[in-house]
Amino acid sequence: MRPPADAELRRRLVYGDESALAEAYTAYGGLVRAVAARVTHSTAAAEDVAQEVFAQLWTRPYAFDARRGTLRTWLSMLAHRRAVDWVRSEARHRKDARADDSALHAIPDAAPGPDETVVHRERFRQLHSALAELPQPQREVVHLAYFAGRTYRQAAVELGIPEGTAKTRLRTALRTLAETLADPPDPALERGA
Amino acid sequence: MTNDHEDVRELLAAWAFGALQPGDERTVRPHLAECADCAAEAARLRETVRVLDGPPTAAPAPASLNGSAPARPPETGGVLALALRSRRPAAAPGIAPHAAPYAAAVSGLQALLRELDGEGDGEREGSGRGAWGTPVVHDWDVRDTVAHLLAADEPLALHLGLDSRLPGTAAAPAGAGPDWADAWALRTAEVIAHEQRREPRETVAAWAAQAAALLATPEARDPELASTATTLMGARLPVADHFTVRAFEAWIHTDDIGRALGIPVPPPPDPHLWRLVHLAVRILGTALGPDAPPVLFAVTGGAEEWVLGSEDEPIRAELVLDPVDFCLLVGGRYAPDEVPRGETGDREAAHAVLARAASLAWL
Repeated sequence: MRPPADAELRRRLVYGDESALAEAYTAYGGLVRAVAARVTHSTAAAEDVAQEVFAQLWTRPYAFDARRGTLRTWLSMLAHRRAVDWVRSEARHRKDARADDSALHAIPDAAPGPDETVVHRERFRQLHSALAELPQPQREVVHLAYFAGRTYRQAAVELGIPEGTAKTRLRTALRTLAETLADPPDPALERGA
Repeated sequence: MTNDHEDVRELLAAWAFGALQPGDERTVRPHLAECADCAAEAARLRETVRVLDGPPTAAPAPASLNGSAPARPPETGGVLALALRSRRPAAAPGIAPHAAPYAAAVSGLQALLRELDGEGDGEREGSGRGAWGTPVVHDWDVRDTVAHLLAADEPLALHLGLDSRLPGTAAAPAGAGPDWADAWALRTAEVIAHEQRREPRETVAAWAAQAAALLATPEARDPELASTATTLMGARLPVADHFTVRAFEAWIHTDDIGRALGIPVPPPPDPHLWRLVHLAVRILGTALGPDAPPVLFAVTGGAEEWVLGSEDEPIRAELVLDPVDFCLLVGGRYAPDEVPRGETGDREAAHAVLARAASLAWL
């Protein structure tokens, strides 16, 4: 969807046109669920995230600024952020449960496993938290390339930026993420602060 | 090979994300085989993406994820239920077309005011509690402007048999008498003063409740009931048109608030905008009277043209305005000389129309 279409859709959302919400969902519901599912690894959680994302779009249409990005990337980034929040809070619950005496059997884990899995999960969470913190221009390109399956050229066209800029942003973003991975986990991040 | 090296270096992140253009692979793959530096970087970036992909034990991601067109989502009802519970659609079942613009304008102002609540993601600067005190128009801040709308909707509400939501002595200026403007000025001042002693939230709630009550009246649902003419605030119009005037005023003040906050407010949806335009042209024609020099008047994007003023002389001038600009002119947001327009012919005749439009003083 081209940006002018985004602005028109937002106009209708602002004025409480329910059919505009349905159109946004038809166009981007799949992407939102897919992003959420990829981060949460849970169909139920992805469903909750999608609910929240479209509730936010509908109740606060002004939060989306069509001059500052496309609706596709905005919804994708919102879904990712919400999904990261979900994963962090789930991790907190698990830790609390582990601290509990009777914790070992308390939480039916989606993917119970050896320590290796725990490490995998921590790194995964750490990396997605870092992704959610990237500057918006970088995050947009990553979302289009990684979650929406665009090539760097398609992403550049969609964002209205030169192709070289899209490549550079992808590179800067992924290098930042790679460095995050090299660092030990940030305890503050782990607490979800 | 130096060129290749630089090119491939730039492409490695896109490669790791699986976001290369078809054909790029032919450049990347051979280079990775011969350049240890790039191969190491490639491995590091791809490993990062692998971690992003998640643990291998995880549930399979939806098939649509890597496709360029995500599959149609499973179903609408469940997912959108939360949204529709949190904010009701403007067009409640049964609302007649004449009341739909007002319903939408009310919904639009509520959406804008939600940006002032100070909740939410904090991604928009300038929002939050302090924003209620932002100067808007006249000497009103945001809350006063909503209080003004509360007062301005009151005459129609009282006419339709609703109870006043406000204490006060000033009668609502419903009559046709020449004093309506004074009475109205008194009433709006009184209401604003009253609301200043309350929380902005309470003012918004009072305004929204009155608007909801207006939209729940039989006259908002039944075009026939709404066809009775009545004089409110000096204008004798069918009740249906009074609803349109309410929409007009709500939008213009929403636009005022948006400008004050630095949040551009989109114009009403086209069908509603044209309702406002048509009503404004009709009122403008009446206000000019049958003796004014005839001017051919058109609004961009519309199919119609109107001859304003006298019909029997040759046309003295032609005017073309954008629908939003025309509404802003009629709403008193443009000086007659400043409104963008296409103009040909006699300047004085054209100016008379613009000046009259700006002086309609609806709001």
